[in-house]
Amino acid sequence: MATITLENVSKTYGNRVEAVRGINFEVKNGEFVALLGPSGCGKSSTMRMIAGLEDITKGTIYFDGKPVNMLRPRDRKVAMAFETYALYPTLTVYENLAFPLRCAGWDKEKVDAKVQEYAQLLELTRLLDRAPSDLSGGQAQRVGLARALVREPACFLLDEPISHLDTRQRHRMRQIIKRLHLEKGFTMIYVTHDQEEAMAMADRIVVMHEGVIRQIGTPTDIYRDPADEFVAGFVGEPPMNFLEGSPNFCDGQWMFRSGDRQFPLPKWMQTQGDMLPGNLSMGIRPFDVAVSTESSIPHDATGQVFVAENLCDYAIVAVDMIDVRFQAVTPTSFKVERHQPVFLKFDPVFMRFFDKATGKAILAPRD
Amino acid sequence: MITLKNVSKRYTTTTFGVRDLNFEIRDQEFLVIYGPSGAGKSTTLKLLAGIIKPTSGEIERDGQSLLDVAPESRDMAMAFENYALYSHMSVRDNLSFPLRAKAMPKKEIDERVERMARTLQISDLLERRPGFLSGGQRQRVALGRAIIRPANLYLLDEPIGHLDAKLRNRMRGELKAMSADLNATIVLVTTASREALALGDRIAILREGNLQQIGTPNEVYFQPVNEFVASFVGEPPMSFLGIEPKSDNGKLLFQIQGCNDCLEVPLQLAELLNGQKEGYRLGVRAAEITVSSQKDADHQVAGEVYIVEHMGYCNIITTKLGNGLIRVITDSTVAPKRGETIWLSLNAENMHLFYQTNALQHPSHYRDALNTNSIMTGAR
Repeated sequence: MATITLENVSKTYGNRVEAVRGINFEVKNGEFVALLGPSGCGKSSTMRMIAGLEDITKGTIYFDGKPVNMLRPRDRKVAMAFETYALYPTLTVYENLAFPLRCAGWDKEKVDAKVQEYAQLLELTRLLDRAPSDLSGGQAQRVGLARALVREPACFLLDEPISHLDTRQRHRMRQIIKRLHLEKGFTMIYVTHDQEEAMAMADRIVVMHEGVIRQIGTPTDIYRDPADEFVAGFVGEPPMNFLEGSPNFCDGQWMFRSGDRQFPLPKWMQTQGDMLPGNLSMGIRPFDVAVSTESSIPHDATGQVFVAENLCDYAIVAVDMIDVRFQAVTPTSFKVERHQPVFLKFDPVFMRFFDKATGKAILAPRD
Repeated sequence: MITLKNVSKRYTTTTFGVRDLNFEIRDQEFLVIYGPSGAGKSTTLKLLAGIIKPTSGEIERDGQSLLDVAPESRDMAMAFENYALYSHMSVRDNLSFPLRAKAMPKKEIDERVERMARTLQISDLLERRPGFLSGGQRQRVALGRAIIRPANLYLLDEPIGHLDAKLRNRMRGELKAMSADLNATIVLVTTASREALALGDRIAILREGNLQQIGTPNEVYFQPVNEFVASFVGEPPMSFLGIEPKSDNGKLLFQIQGCNDCLEVPLQLAELLNGQKEGYRLGVRAAEITVSSQKDADHQVAGEVYIVEHMGYCNIITTKLGNGLIRVITDSTVAPKRGETIWLSLNAENMHLFYQTNALQHPSHYRDALNTNSIMTGAR
């Protein structure tokens, strides 16, 4: 077990490409942290520096307060798992798991106990006698995870391990990995571009973009109060809708004006109307947009149905406005036709506003 | 209409790509082929394209055999997962190639390419060569090249599987709109439940080369024929509970395996049981149950909180019940701790009953949902 601290860590490839630019964060002992971001954001470079597979260009990485910059990977007691695993093809699943322990000089009984323990945690007990060639992709992956873990590392690093699995397998692996964390208490760092995996498993998420950290927080914090427009758009499925506009004082209150649409800014912003930036972006999640086919119901915007998707327990309706496409989540009982005019109402509680110039969220005053 | 009759493809004496497939692809329908890896999805697509020939069986189009028709004469457009782009051509030339081959006027070609590039959000990449594109960008070009030209049938093998979530969400809408606008027949392969439900007019579910079920999204979601389909369609996957029928003072009960809780068996279910004690399981979807921190009239069965997943708009709570795990979707404000007891609204009437993995009975309230197939009316 270990607490891992990154202090002003940078990674430059050659003397040009700055993959990671002076990042700071800490993973507490026993914590599950996800590094989340699109491809090229620096998340894998960061993980490889923690593992010792890449030199650190600048800054320091500490394990339990001790710098590890100069330690070789095997001296850092980290285990890594990737999307693809090289299992020993001539050994059974059991032997694949036992091999690293025997190499470490463990006696037979201890090896057996450990193999059985991890086989059970990763739901491999019935597969122990199989050869790797007789395993499905998901099974081989679980064997790979178990083999990385049997030596009980100080820290477990996973790089996009389940991104290629089908929906059912992904849900199963999510639970297995989470359970592994809860029952064994490993410090875990999980690298992914899939926000859903990060949300489902992590205690905290570090959102990265272009080599810098955009936000660190719990899944709920990041979902509900994104620090900037990038985080807001990257986290959440279906993704957040955005509308560009500006604050406008009208009939005694501050409004958000966007083209010919206009609706009041939320209460907490009324007192700071004068201080708001001239160009704003309003973000609202599809779950917080109500759609109606009745123009008589109060609404904030109008558009035409682009498509509607029935996901059986809810539906997603995409609505084209003149300048932008919005998505709204509706009950499946809601019926629409393509190109039908519809009326949108945004829940003021969940509207988020960003400064268009900087992308930063306009923060509510703390009380 | 394309008809597959007893189509099998055997790769070696013992390994089948697909086995005895029987189904039809209707004109202008969007058919999704859905299943885990190794199910035979891509094999099915290649059989339709004519890239491989069936070991046995017949593939017909409007009653005429397609087997002796060369792939290039089948009037089908394909996009496969391993996007084979022309590496010496720019993205623009890759996109326009199928149109130039059809001798379309240059002005029209340019218009179509520009429009396609906008739809796929690759307008700024048109002059690049494939070698300078990311995987996701290449995949969009491959998709564009497949769907840019008019064809009788479009065959798309995981065309948006490698895109990031935001782009995938957008492309999904574009594909759906395209299918409505083009009035084309589209067959699309995917391993993602959400994609299958959102896109398909019908979904064909394959497993180990065998067709499990084919039907509208609502049919396969609300009336899955077996536990495999039930657990594979919908997200999070359906939860299952092993149960044993027993009678108590003349009343029939389902004893939940691994605990003392029992569920009352409604009369119509009791009639279906064949007297066997073993092999029954109940299935329930996460959105169909509610939880309460206290026992009350609706929440009678206690579960132990096992894992809580915070999805932002909701939480997925997995609870231990007997020797099974039950997933429940709750409001994001409901966040019990691991190990706590919560009470579940389990009711045999609202659950799917399976016997030896095959469906015996579905919840009666699902019948309303089945009467309507899509929330999009009209257009298609």
